[in-house]
Amino acid sequence: MSPRDLLGSTPWRLAVAFALAITLLTGGVFYAVYRISTQARIDQLQAVFADEAEKAAATDDAALQQALTLRLTRDFRRLNFVGLYDRSGRRLLGNIETMPDAPIDGRTRYVADFRPSAHDDPEPTLVVARRRPNGDVIVLGRSLSEASLLRAVLAQALSFAILPIAVGALLLGLLFARRTAARIGEIDRAIAGIVDGDLGRRLPSRTGLRELDGVVGSVNHMLDDIERLLGQLAAVGDNIAHDLRAPLMNMRALLERALAEAPRGEGRAAVQGALRQLDRAMTTIEALLRIAGIDRQSRVAGFRELELGALCAELQEFFAPLAEAKGVALTLAAERKMRRRGDPDLLREAIANLIDNALKFTPRGGAVRILARERAGRAEIIVSDNGRGVPAAESRDIFRRYVRARNGADLPGGGLGLAIAETIARLHGMELTVADNAPGARFTLAERDGP
Amino acid sequence: MEPKRTAIYLCEDERELARALIGALEPRYRVSWSPNGEGALEAVRAGEAEILILDRKLQDADGMEILAALRDGGARTPVLMISGLGAVDDRVAGLRAGGDDYLVKPFAMPEFLARVDALARRLPVEGAALLRAGTLELDLIGRKLRRGDRGIELLPREFKLLEYFMRRPGQVVTRKMLLEEVWGYCFNTETNVVDVHIRNLRVKLDAPGEPKLIVNLRGQGFRLDVPA
Repeated sequence: MSPRDLLGSTPWRLAVAFALAITLLTGGVFYAVYRISTQARIDQLQAVFADEAEKAAATDDAALQQALTLRLTRDFRRLNFVGLYDRSGRRLLGNIETMPDAPIDGRTRYVADFRPSAHDDPEPTLVVARRRPNGDVIVLGRSLSEASLLRAVLAQALSFAILPIAVGALLLGLLFARRTAARIGEIDRAIAGIVDGDLGRRLPSRTGLRELDGVVGSVNHMLDDIERLLGQLAAVGDNIAHDLRAPLMNMRALLERALAEAPRGEGRAAVQGALRQLDRAMTTIEALLRIAGIDRQSRVAGFRELELGALCAELQEFFAPLAEAKGVALTLAAERKMRRRGDPDLLREAIANLIDNALKFTPRGGAVRILARERAGRAEIIVSDNGRGVPAAESRDIFRRYVRARNGADLPGGGLGLAIAETIARLHGMELTVADNAPGARFTLAERDGP
Repeated sequence: MEPKRTAIYLCEDERELARALIGALEPRYRVSWSPNGEGALEAVRAGEAEILILDRKLQDADGMEILAALRDGGARTPVLMISGLGAVDDRVAGLRAGGDDYLVKPFAMPEFLARVDALARRLPVEGAALLRAGTLELDLIGRKLRRGDRGIELLPREFKLLEYFMRRPGQVVTRKMLLEEVWGYCFNTETNVVDVHIRNLRVKLDAPGEPKLIVNLRGQGFRLDVPA
């Protein structure tokens, strides 16, 4: 699975959403804590402040000066601002350089960017101004920088709390996404295998996702049923073929006896014709039972090391006299060292059927070409001819039992050779396809995956 | 006729088929039949079965087990296994277990008879260096063929083909037997490729005016006829 697929997967998306939600919710909680605690502090300060300003306005000069000086000297953190101005606005005392531009009404106000002097940084401050009986103005200020400090502390705490959760959630999401992807991949491969004809295969039952396990269980149950039904269906077909054998063989024995007992009788030709028809029926039954037999065969039994090029060369030699007699050029181009594991007898049969078929449909003067090669690590055996070809519409059906290209219906043979070849191909993880060779047909026996 | 006296014991539990087989065998052989495997071993021990025809799958027994018991007991009676199991493996397994031939159902009666005939006639000693049939002389070591005074050149495959015939003179040889034994192929071909191989061999064997040695028997196969 590519990183792109992984990032688009549902578990990963859920993890991202979860991390986002955790961040937002926790952030909200921290913000509320900050707001509530700051507001409470401001409210408290406002009440105290108004009170102090009122008292300061009423105190006599000497006491006020003493009190203000004391206030400033005690203020190590420089949170307090004090200013005493005369009628003309000149500063008499305090650490506020110029009289702030605030209404002189004794009410506490919040100033977001208060600067006690020109070289100070602005900071949020509570300010109250009040006129004394002698006309002077007393200004008291209280920095709220504690609140920013609190905010910074809270932000730090927030990041400490959220970061591990968010990262953890994302990591878990990634892990889960990969695991789910792997499990789904297994299921996908199992389904592909079943589609390719491995009907005994089942979906992996322990996916790690309980809901999916349920579905997998049901699907496997369904596959059991399908396999059983198909088995019954095949068994019915096999049984019919099986049951036909004995009577057909009996019939053949009787006809032969009739032929032997009537050496010059008039019915001889008819009996001989009946024998020929009977042999055709037997050939068909034999092929059907053969397909059933190959289908039943387990994958590995009979598999051994073989070389596909040599197999093709051997068959070319076998069919060469027939091609020559038919006036058809049978050529071979085979790469060597195409080592594979397989059942040599069956593969030989499959390739022989293709050559057989090509020779049958190629008229005198034509050419049949056997090509064995490797393409991107996959073995390919191609048998092409320039004979009558396979009409496109029939190419899909050609491997099905009984079906034969219509324009070849007058030729002998049950047409089951290709069906047998297809069954053998499937057993070997190969695919048999047919294409237009313009003119003629091109049959390709190709590996689905590499060696 | 000598072969008529050969005793065949047939173990086949499909009655219809058994009847057909017996019908085909009876003109030439003395046939005993049993639907199960029990009688087979006794018949062989009592010398009443010179050839055993054994179905691979009997209702009460596995033909392979009977065969194994037979061979374990030291009996060398020729055995033809017949079976409905068509996979190539089964054939190989059947031959490896000591069967002399293996035929997959359904088979044509001439095929069956040719196989039985082949078992009934003992082959010339395998070690022979020279095979003779009439005026034909096949030198297995020098890889040379002579017909009378005439030397004939053969391709390796043609040599093998003729050798097979010369080991079975006067005996029906089916296309399937040739495919299996000469080429080692277990499949059927819908074409007459075997016939073409034989035709090519014949062209080399028979000079104009000479009698044809390999004859084509319609519906059965071929036979190497040796003039007496």
